[in-house]
Amino acid sequence: MKLLDKYNRISLLTTIVVIIVTGFIYYFTISYILTDQVDKDLLVEENEIFEHVKLNHNLPEVFKSEDLKILFKNIGQDTMPRQFSNTQFWDDKEKEQEAARCLQSWVRVNGVNYSIHIIESKVETEELIRLIFLITLGIILLLIIALITINRLVIRNLWQPFYDMLRQIKLFNVTDQNSITPLTTGIEEFRDMNDEISAMSARVKQDYQELKTFVENAAHELMTPIAVMNSKLDTLIQTGGLNDEQGTLIGDMYGTMGKLTRLNKVMLLLTKIENNLINDQEALDVRATIETACSEFQDLAYNKALRLHTELTDVTLFMSKTLLDILLGNLLGNAIRHNRPGGIVTVKLNQQALIIQNTGKFDTLDAGTIFRRFQKASDSEGSGLGLTLARQICENNGFRLQYSFEDHLHTFTVHFK
Amino acid sequence: MKLLVIEDEPGLRDSIRDYFTAAGNICETAGDYPAALQKINLYRYDCIILDITLPNGNGLDILQEIKRIRYPDGILIVSARNSLDDRLQGLHLGADDYLTKPFHLSELLARVMAIVRRKSYDGNHLLVFNEIEMDLQAKTVTVGDHPIKFTKREYALLLYFIVNKGKVVSKNALAEHIWGDGIDISDNFDFIYSHIKNVRKKLVDAGCKDYIQSAYGMGYKLHDR
Repeated sequence: MKLLDKYNRISLLTTIVVIIVTGFIYYFTISYILTDQVDKDLLVEENEIFEHVKLNHNLPEVFKSEDLKILFKNIGQDTMPRQFSNTQFWDDKEKEQEAARCLQSWVRVNGVNYSIHIIESKVETEELIRLIFLITLGIILLLIIALITINRLVIRNLWQPFYDMLRQIKLFNVTDQNSITPLTTGIEEFRDMNDEISAMSARVKQDYQELKTFVENAAHELMTPIAVMNSKLDTLIQTGGLNDEQGTLIGDMYGTMGKLTRLNKVMLLLTKIENNLINDQEALDVRATIETACSEFQDLAYNKALRLHTELTDVTLFMSKTLLDILLGNLLGNAIRHNRPGGIVTVKLNQQALIIQNTGKFDTLDAGTIFRRFQKASDSEGSGLGLTLARQICENNGFRLQYSFEDHLHTFTVHFK
Repeated sequence: MKLLVIEDEPGLRDSIRDYFTAAGNICETAGDYPAALQKINLYRYDCIILDITLPNGNGLDILQEIKRIRYPDGILIVSARNSLDDRLQGLHLGADDYLTKPFHLSELLARVMAIVRRKSYDGNHLLVFNEIEMDLQAKTVTVGDHPIKFTKREYALLLYFIVNKGKVVSKNALAEHIWGDGIDISDNFDFIYSHIKNVRKKLVDAGCKDYIQSAYGMGYKLHDR
């Protein structure tokens, strides 16, 4: 639920409750005042009757009126309390019962007591009340509508900086160059929040940048000692007089040095790709690039007695040749390395996607974890960063790299769009 | 061949010097920017191996200086920074080649030899090793008068061995030379083995001596005997 809706709901509910309560109070107050007015009229009538009796010593003649009735009744020597009450009034003209007010009293005429009932219809009072009530209701409704409309417009306007900020936060990417720009708003809360968010994003970016610079520098700094060790090994094997055991040990060291070097290089490459530092984009004939890559791998495939099928169509992509070569090298290399002897590698290329399928030693791989860094098969000699690298390249070019296991084939698909 | 190694890391500098000297070259060294500038202004070299990250100075400035005075020395840049920009800038400034650290000494020698060969305009494209004759332009090999048909990779291997004759060349160096360093090939040494077997067989079949010997599981060596 949006803040505006929530606010509107609460304010509307409150308004309605308040209006109902005040409506009741209003109604009863007016009703009371008007009843009081009627009662005063009744007292005036009663007084007139008393005056008449005092002067003439008989009961006054009663005239029939539309909204007033006076009734006398001989009650002998009884008296009755003087009191007001609510009652009904039969309107001959309208042929209906109407709410009315009654004053009950008594008067002594020539030694006989008479009860007096003065009844006055409240129909006009009621109508007045209804009218006042309707007008008030109309005004209140108008007020509510005006309030909601103004709320909607004003609040939407007031919250505009918030939505602007939100949009920026949604677009915020720690690897991007663009940061969150400060907003110009007169509202202090939003300005504060925006300032803090801008500062935070800048801080996050800087931390991230520093971390990456550190990784890059660390990898670079490692290269020199590795280079020294490598050169020393190269020199050591020239010394001669090494026996088989020593030779094997040195061979193992070479292998480890090679792994270390590759790992370092891939880490540097990954940093570079993440930073978008490889900017040699050009229109590439993907088909020709794949054919070259396949011929590079032909010997390896032959060595493992693999059958390499290709189904290629002409596709042109605008991207870095370096990165396309690395992507193909990794995917094809994996398809061959993790294959079983006598297996199959299929490469398909069309306008939508590049699909590389291979038979393998294992059943389906966990699509959720294979792209993770340093995730690799237990017997793999690779760096564990190959697929991470492949996926990063895809992401940078707006492609989507997907793994699936179809018909006993490990399938890597690069969706171009 | 007379070479200058400009490299600030003593361990690497000494290894390079020893390797090149043992291969019968004159190899001088410079450990920092001023020493390097002094040497290039005093002497001429067939090839200068230049590390571009030097203390108190940038190697690219040395490169610019050499090119400004129009010295004909071949230049091979060696750098820990494998960035495309550095590579392009170096080559644009007139370097002949670019090699990223870490590298194998055999690879460095092969690259230097290639530069020196390109630089010497004596029209001789032939590389002769005893009875083996390699035409570097036509990329053909003959033993005696018999032309031998080599694949691209076998040819590259043979050339690499001849350039590094008398040296033990590690399997890793061979694999990286043939495959480049873009691909994880560590589990494909078998493949190197079968290639070398083919090269040896083709040479022996053509009546050549079997020069290439395995060196204890570390690598191979082309014996000059």
